[in-house]
Order: sequence, then C-alpha cells, then structure tokens
Amino acid sequence: MSSSSSSSSSTELSIPLHVKYIQSLGENKDDLIYHMTSHLRLNAIYWGLTALCVMNRQDALDREEMIAFVMSCWDEEAGGFGAHSGHDAHIHATLSAIQILILQDASDKIDVPRVVNCEPSKHIFHSRRTLPEMLTEGLPLLVILSLQQPSGVFAGDAFGEIDTRFSYIAVQSLSLLGQLDKLNVDKTVSYVLKCRNFDGGFGAVVGAESHAAMVFVCVALLAILDKLDEIDQETLAWWLAERQLPNGGLNGRPQKLEDVCYSFWVLSAMSILGKLTWIDADKLIQFILSAQDPENGGIADRPGDQPDVFHTLFGVAGLSLLGYPGLETIDPAYCLPESVTKRLGLRKNWKALPKRT
Amino acid sequence: MSSDAFNSTTALLRMNPELYTVWNYRRNIMTQTMFPASEPAEVNDALTEDLSLTFTLLKQHPKVYVIWNHRRWCLENVPDGPTEDDPQGWKMANWKKELFVVEKMLDADARNFHAWNYRRYILANMANAPPPSTELAYTTRKIEANFSNFSAWHQRSKVLNTLWEEGKLDEKTSKQSEFELVQNAMYTDPDDQSVWIYHAWLIGTGEDASLLHREIASIQELLDEQPDSKWCMESLVRYKRLLLRKHRPSLSVVEGEQLLQDCSALLAKLAETDRLRRQRYLDILQELQRPSS
Repeated sequence: MSSSSSSSSSTELSIPLHVKYIQSLGENKDDLIYHMTSHLRLNAIYWGLTALCVMNRQDALDREEMIAFVMSCWDEEAGGFGAHSGHDAHIHATLSAIQILILQDASDKIDVPRVVNCEPSKHIFHSRRTLPEMLTEGLPLLVILSLQQPSGVFAGDAFGEIDTRFSYIAVQSLSLLGQLDKLNVDKTVSYVLKCRNFDGGFGAVVGAESHAAMVFVCVALLAILDKLDEIDQETLAWWLAERQLPNGGLNGRPQKLEDVCYSFWVLSAMSILGKLTWIDADKLIQFILSAQDPENGGIADRPGDQPDVFHTLFGVAGLSLLGYPGLETIDPAYCLPESVTKRLGLRKNWKALPKRT
Repeated sequence: MSSDAFNSTTALLRMNPELYTVWNYRRNIMTQTMFPASEPAEVNDALTEDLSLTFTLLKQHPKVYVIWNHRRWCLENVPDGPTEDDPQGWKMANWKKELFVVEKMLDADARNFHAWNYRRYILANMANAPPPSTELAYTTRKIEANFSNFSAWHQRSKVLNTLWEEGKLDEKTSKQSEFELVQNAMYTDPDDQSVWIYHAWLIGTGEDASLLHREIASIQELLDEQPDSKWCMESLVRYKRLLLRKHRPSLSVVEGEQLLQDCSALLAKLAETDRLRRQRYLDILQELQRPSS
C-alpha cells in the first residue's frame, strides 16, 4: 500500500509499474482473494486488458491463454458467458467476453473448436465455425434480445434484475456484433429517457437519483444509437461539471466524496457532449496520478487506498480522455481503444482533449 | 441431498454474498426441489428466513446489488395465505417489514442509492402502501437532519410531483412552502449545491416571470451578504437567462440590456472565482454576447 507522502509526490503515470501490477493479478490463483473475486473474473480481465491497451502494452498478457479462459466461461445452457468457468451466464460477463475477443482480434483468427476443445465445455461446439459466426448466429444474440422487458429496459439475466446498465450492455454488445438492426431502438431509448431527472442526469431505474455511472451508461447508449438530440445537453453538462471538487477529483453525485472511477464515467459523458473543457483537466490529472501506488503499481479509488484493476482502468481511461501523453485514446462510448471502434466503423462524434506532449 | 446443497449456499453466501451464481443456484433449489414438496406455510417460512438472511448480509454489505435483488425475489414469491379467507396475510406481513428494513439502512447511510431505489420499489408495489403525504414527511425528516442529503431532496421532488398530479396538494401553495424551506437551507449553508439544484427544480422551465423576478431579488439579497457565493451567482445567471429566453417580449429594451450586463458581470466574476469550471462561464459569456441571443 502506498504511503500518502510518497503517493502525493508522484507526478507521472508509472506505466511499467501498472503493467507489472496487472500482470501480477492472474498469477496467484491459490490466493483467497482470487476466489473471492471470481464473480468478476471476466470483467476484471476486460478491465486489465483495456488498461494495457490504453498504455500501449496489449502484449503484456498471454493472448492464447486469455482466449481459452474466455471460452471456458461459455454457459451453453443459458447461451451467454459467465464471469468464470462454471458460473452462470450474465449479460455483464457476456459483454466483457465479447469485448476481450474483439480486443484480441480473435473474431477472424481464432479457431473456435480448437480453443474450446481444451476446455471442459468442449461438447458445445461441433462445427468449425469462427467466433463471429458463432456469436452472431448463435445464442448470445437471442438471449440478449430476450432480456428486454416490456418497459424497454433490459434485465441482467433470467432472474430479472433490471437497470439502465443492462440496457447499455445490451446495446454495446449488439453494436459490437453488428446486430443493432435487431434491436427495438424506440422502446430501448424510451425507457432510458424516463430515467432522466430534472438535473439533467440519469438514474438506474425510473425514479432513481442521478448518478454519474448511470449518466455514463445512458449517454453512451444514446450516442451509440444516435439519439443524443433527445436530451437537454446543456443542463447535463452543467451537472457533470459540478462533479469536480476542489482537490481536482470527481464525485458521482452532489455532496459526495471523490473517487477515481468517476474520472471515466463523468469524463466519458462530457467528451460525448463535447464539453471536456468545462472542468480543470490539470487538477484532475494530478488527482488521478496521486491515487497511484508508487511501490506496487495500480491505481486506487483515492490516494493512500489499496489499488485494484477496476480503478486502474478508469484512472488511465480518464487520463487518456484528458490527453495525457503516451496513451492511446479511449473511445468514451464503448470504453475500448479508439483504434478498435474505428476499425469496426463504430466511432461516434465525441471529442477527447488534444494530446499533450 | 438438496438440503445439504442448500446449506452450502448459505455458508458460501455468508462468506461472499456477491457470488451471483450461488444465489441463482439457491433460488433454483428452492423453486425446483424444496417448494414443490412443501406446504405453503413452509414456503412462506423459507422466504421469511431468506429475508432475515439478506438483512444480516445487507448490514455488512449495504451496496451489493445481488443481495437487494434477492430480497425482491423473496417478496415476489410469497405464496397466498395463511387461509383462503386471508390470501394477502403473509404478503402483507412480509412487505410491511420492508419499510422498517429500508429505514434502518437509510439511518446507517442516508445516501445509499440502493436503499432509496428499494424504498421506491416497496412503496410502489406493496398493498396498503402509506400515502405519498407520509413519504413527504419522511423526506422532511431526512432533509432536516442534513440539508446536504440530495437523495432526500430528489425523493421529495418525485413525491411532490405525484401529489400535485393526483390533486392531493395544491401545486401553487405547496411550491410556496417549498421555497420557504429552501430559502432556510440556503441561508444555513450557501455552498451546499443540493439546495440550489432543488431550487432550480422548483423554478422549472421559467414560464412564470413574476416568480423569476421574486427569486432573483431574494438571491440577490443573499449575494449582497455573501458577495463571493458561487451558487448565488450561478443561480442568478441561470434565472436571468431564463427571463431573457422566455420573457423577452415583456421586457423593455433597457431591462433586457441590464439583464445581459448583469449576466456578463456575474460570469466574469465566476470565471475568476470558480477556476475549475472557468471555461464553462467563458463559453456562456461568449454565447450571450453573440448578436442573435
């Protein structure tokens, strides 16, 4: 853990240290902590891999091993991915799986049956179909669409927890698979718009208080579906700008504490609205850097706390949108590198700050 | 066999309540194995027990989505009973406890949005829910305990909308008392943005010009006392711009010019004092100075 004196003196992003930190996460599979976080494993791999991509070190984790692990999380019965081998399918883990496979450019190179044959779930793939064929023809798509509720919101799985986060996950998944034409866009958007509050923000369900994480998912969803003209952008950008606190960090709601993860959630929405200049970038950069662990790498929620891979991604993603030098630009609507969304023809009209030198 | 498996899920979830697959497995054991072989009273007992388990877990992990979600599932699966004459008895008994549970959770953390969302879910779905006027009184208590609790102000805005739409409160009179409540809070702590955001909700889209004039005068008074108050200046710009946008034809040329000048001066000062958001003020200033505005 970092001491506050050493962390406050860090003024640069320690890329080699963060790379080492992310590499170390998969190494101790006997640790209790590894098993205690198994319900987030696939998400954690996506967070780590995306952070590495932003730091231009995608090569730091073994590609074949990662793809094999992702495929081992396939839940044949439900038609989606679970967070870990043997866990039930969930829409969140399914998006992470799709994102990882796309980041690894596994869609046309990977020989699915071979990879899958190494894993316990080998019985599920009979033909030598490629991954995109499997994904687009197969169950995930049907399952994602089947999770849409009559109100237009999506559920996370068959047990029916609903949330605008799941709507965003469904929309991003379909978009990455090139299947948005199968989505009932009006119904999806109409639920999201019902979650909008007078302060310009969005909540998790109808009636819920505005929260920066839900603002991210709702604004990114509207951006992907080209529906940003439906909202009051000026009021929302004002609410977002008011998330910055005197210490430079951002909070998620009025009168709450700062946290590094909001560096992405708030900035994502601001860059989609073209309003990143409405906060103090220098002070936010300093805040994110001060939350680094200068000894073992990784970024924490705030200075002095224990780092984790979640805050490490959202810290570097925030720095990327602020134009921090040496980082690949992150696409705020997908939380994937811009090079990837450009390659897929999915880049929308958002604006990061100019790259610093 | 299934009772062993069921007990294992309890042990695992006490260790790590975020294991969503274990919750799923537990629900599957209940619905597929236990419930078909049980009397309705036993089903009700099992669900009541799970409600107690999740309350224990929530006290340690108040922000874990899947625990809240399991509570909803339990409530929604309470069977009819105890008797044919009283089919709602068990449901009522279980649902009634929920308001108590959620109040405990909000006493521990008055901003926990999981708890607030759950509260709204309970109020919307329980039979014999307390009326919105009771909920309004609850938000008053929460706000009086802490003016900074924006979650309570937010809930208040939703409850008042319901009361106005249902005609249970006269919108005009009730708004007036809301303005008094807010003004009290503004004077207590002019830097607390919760209060100002709520004030902006009360003003709404600014169709009422006399209301705008009155509130502008009242905020100006506070600004005279606290000349550096960012939120006074921010709100004055907002409401003066609303006057310009919505009521230009009713203003004289001189009045219009004066409002523009006021806004420019306030924005220039905000750009100097609220440095974090400097560019926003400069952007609005530039927009105001464009001839078309």
